[in-house]
Amino acid sequence: MLISYNWLRELTGTKLTPLELRERLTMVGLAIDSVDENEGDSLLDVEVPSNRPDCLSHVGIAREVAVIEKSKVQSPKSKVPKTQGKASDFAAVEIEDPYLCSRYAARIVRGVKIGPSPDWLAKRLNEIGQRPINNVADITNYVLHELGQPLHAFDLTKLNGQKIIVRRARAGEKLQTLDGVDRVLDNEMLVIADAERPVALAGIMGGLDSEISTSTVDVLIESAYFDPDSIRRTARKLGMDTEASKRFERGADCENVVNAQARCVELICEIAGGIASEDVIDVYPRPLTARSITFRPERVESLTSLRVDVAEMDRILVALGFVEGAAAKDTKTFVVPSWRVDVSLEEDLVEEIARHVGYEHIGSELPPSAMAGEYQPAELKRRKIRRALTSLGFDEAINLSFIDPAHDEVFALAATNQLATQSSFVTLSNPILEDVTRMRPSLLPGLLQSLRHNFNQGTRDVRLFEIGRVFAGPDGDELPHESESLALILSGGASEQDRAQASRELDFYDLTGALQAAISALNLPPLVFAEAEVKHLRAGQSANISLADGTVIGSAGTLSETISAGYKFRQRVYVAELDLTAVFEIAEHEIKYTPLPRYPSVVRDVTLLVGRNVAFTELVGAIESEEIDDYQRVKLVGTYEGQNIPAQKRSVTLRVEYRSDQRTLRDEEVEERHRRLLDSLLKKFSAVLH
Amino acid sequence: MQRPFHGLNQIGAFKVMTNPNSPEDPRVAVESARKAFEQEFERFVRLTDASALALSLADAETEQRALADLRTRHMGKKSALAACKKLIGKVAPDERAAFGQLVQRAEAEITERVTTADETLNSLLQSARRERDRIDVTLPGRRPRQGHIHPITKLRERIEDIFVSLGYAIEDDREIETDFYNFDALNIPANHPARAPQDTFYTTEGFALRSQTSTVQIHAMQRRGVPLRMIAPGRVFRRDTPDPTHNPMFFQVEGLCVDRGITMAHLKGTVAEFLRRMFGAQTVTRFRPSYFPFTEPSAEFDFSCFKCGGSGCRICKQSGWIELGGSGMVHPNVLRIAGVDPEIYSGFAFGLGIDRMCALMYGLDDIRLLFENDIRFLEQFD
Repeated sequence: MLISYNWLRELTGTKLTPLELRERLTMVGLAIDSVDENEGDSLLDVEVPSNRPDCLSHVGIAREVAVIEKSKVQSPKSKVPKTQGKASDFAAVEIEDPYLCSRYAARIVRGVKIGPSPDWLAKRLNEIGQRPINNVADITNYVLHELGQPLHAFDLTKLNGQKIIVRRARAGEKLQTLDGVDRVLDNEMLVIADAERPVALAGIMGGLDSEISTSTVDVLIESAYFDPDSIRRTARKLGMDTEASKRFERGADCENVVNAQARCVELICEIAGGIASEDVIDVYPRPLTARSITFRPERVESLTSLRVDVAEMDRILVALGFVEGAAAKDTKTFVVPSWRVDVSLEEDLVEEIARHVGYEHIGSELPPSAMAGEYQPAELKRRKIRRALTSLGFDEAINLSFIDPAHDEVFALAATNQLATQSSFVTLSNPILEDVTRMRPSLLPGLLQSLRHNFNQGTRDVRLFEIGRVFAGPDGDELPHESESLALILSGGASEQDRAQASRELDFYDLTGALQAAISALNLPPLVFAEAEVKHLRAGQSANISLADGTVIGSAGTLSETISAGYKFRQRVYVAELDLTAVFEIAEHEIKYTPLPRYPSVVRDVTLLVGRNVAFTELVGAIESEEIDDYQRVKLVGTYEGQNIPAQKRSVTLRVEYRSDQRTLRDEEVEERHRRLLDSLLKKFSAVLH
Repeated sequence: MQRPFHGLNQIGAFKVMTNPNSPEDPRVAVESARKAFEQEFERFVRLTDASALALSLADAETEQRALADLRTRHMGKKSALAACKKLIGKVAPDERAAFGQLVQRAEAEITERVTTADETLNSLLQSARRERDRIDVTLPGRRPRQGHIHPITKLRERIEDIFVSLGYAIEDDREIETDFYNFDALNIPANHPARAPQDTFYTTEGFALRSQTSTVQIHAMQRRGVPLRMIAPGRVFRRDTPDPTHNPMFFQVEGLCVDRGITMAHLKGTVAEFLRRMFGAQTVTRFRPSYFPFTEPSAEFDFSCFKCGGSGCRICKQSGWIELGGSGMVHPNVLRIAGVDPEIYSGFAFGLGIDRMCALMYGLDDIRLLFENDIRFLEQFD
């Protein structure tokens, strides 16, 4: 809101410069965004907090300035108008809904001469961003910016029956507002009507029909108080935001209605001529009851640490318009001024005092230390996963939590994930991005979008991971399920820092390796991968991920050709997602020291030719289940298929380690054990030695 | 350059036991030893001028072996020179000294020439080996590309570390909330615009996507009771159309400290300490009155512009201050709803946007980049 420095000076006689005012007002809670010079004046752009409608005017700001400078607001003066006749001789007012309009005051000015405003008035309005229209309309606008009370001038002769009825609109009733828009109303909206039809949208905008025009002679000046919620709802519904609605929806000053009207009428008579009615039709069915607050001065110190003399507290509150009431031992009572809709509690008074003493005078100290800090247990685990994955070359991604429902049913969710058992998705009723209405049940759609973005930017080698919540709804009244997920995506080559070319192409095993690294960073037993059909993965290159106990917690594999084609990916993409909530529930395994071997171990390599359908883990399982004496472990050396290997076969080279804890094994002992192992493997897998 | 060898004529004046022309004359033996050396050393003579050499590393090594061999043959125990030395004792006493000197001179000559040749060869070899072994030490070291933690996570972790060290617990809770936790419990009036579907996302079942992590404060007070110190970093949602300074989802951290005797001085001290640790020891924090439904009194806090230090620049819109967050003393209604008696306990709360802090810290001019996950963006944050 723009405030003219010169105007403010007329009201307060302030001795502060515009820049000093900027600083002082900011420090009492009225932040000034900017101060701009303008033809001998300065304009202060005040950011008025939403609970301070009383500051949405020059007098409102002046009140704060007067408290700062220990001065008084000088009420604007205007000439006493010529008056004649009772207002009720010319018009009638009726309030049908006193809850939506608790006060309506009408006053008549007859014989005005509509014309352009005098220069000083037009200039002032222009300066604060208001477009001058004609003298009467400009005066109502001027008083709004001066005193904060929205006013409206009707052409009296255009009011059918010279009657004002404040009522709810009838469903489907129409009104063309001053901006030329035809509004269709409903019965939640409050209108000002004449005997026949709505003539204004109460508290928001007047109607075009009853507007002041050059032919207007007699005017009815409206000054009223409307229910904030009603105005807000109507304004929102119609997409309107006017100077009047802004003030009414935050709360106008019920007790300022007649004063502001008087000021307006005086200015009209002075500038546009005319004779005012002697009195006002003031319909006030629900008078405001002033609030009074019990106040314990010591609360100022106990909440803010400020030590303030009680006399200074009184000075500030009284200067702000509070009226001191009855006092008792240790307590005082203050009556809240009608314009301070924001004040109702003792704490509010504490704030009034603190902000005028100045927050800068509040000390600065840490509270006495009393507690030990603690991380969320899961957060430390997340950190370990992040470190493990970044050290493998994965960048951390963060995607929006909402996705397009086109992804529904495209991605398989981990079976343990509570979400997977839910049939329903969580849907937004008011999305901000078109078609992006689903709370994501999977992190993969987001990562695929990120991958596509990178490809489009010419980045070919991409490894991303994301940790985030995924959602699924129970139907009905319960809150949706939320659980945490970890997803990985990779494509392209294994790039080297500072080198132009990737050292090799990434593949499936980079994916599973990274997942194992993440799990082992948590000190958990390794994940188990088993070939499985997963709908978003390419058949034959897709696996279930399970925990040591067999619970399936996710999937990993090559992205299916269909999805890949949909994204127009031209290189293979590998994706994995697992239920992190389930992972976080597993107990870490205890680390126990194993004595170092005292005798040397002997290793034997063996290359087996087995069917391509024989999984490495099956071979390992078979070896372990043989329980050969002194067998220690087996590790993969490599696999080979292709030239010199029959179709449907694969050669697998394994390194088996034998060691005894009692003595050094003799060659023939190792030979005998190894022979036994081989015989069983050859038989079990119909394998041959290669 | 070949040096003249001392001729036998120089010692011709000495008397010797035998006829100088007789092969029995020991001087003849010295002379023949010398001659034999000179003859064999011929091939090494050119080595004396190192700069003229263009031997390959392998040739130089062969030469060095040959030189070592030559040294053994002409200077070793079984050499002619060694035999001459043995003769010294047999020469007549009056001529012994002169003969001894003759042998010594011959030995010194031979030694010097061999040594010089050897040194020349050595330095030649050293430089040849260095050439052979030279690598480009400036090539980039071998290191697989490192991944990067998202800048928001980085800041979030830093914030968490600071507050844990100040004795705070880190808390989190649901992202989809009931109206009660998202609004009612925070003293946000039923008609407050923030509740409108223009500002807050709702699911079709009518649940709200949390619009601030203050929801966690209520859960935490209910779960843990008071006294309590906690911060809640997390995702929040507001219905803003994406633009350079808005996203419909962002990250926030809110803090809460409730205990007996907590005042605004503690709020100021805590926020100031946090910002000093975050932005540097020179950071000055300013509190000014503001309005939030869940605090009373309320304050916004600004910190001295880290760019200009307070003198005014583009970043701080010439004010010297950068707005960062909101704070205040927990509203008595909020305490009561969470089961805390405001007559016994008081507390402060504060909140700030991690995305905004991120934008300020790294000079980000478009925060939409934060959720595009462009590798070229992410790898700028190590």
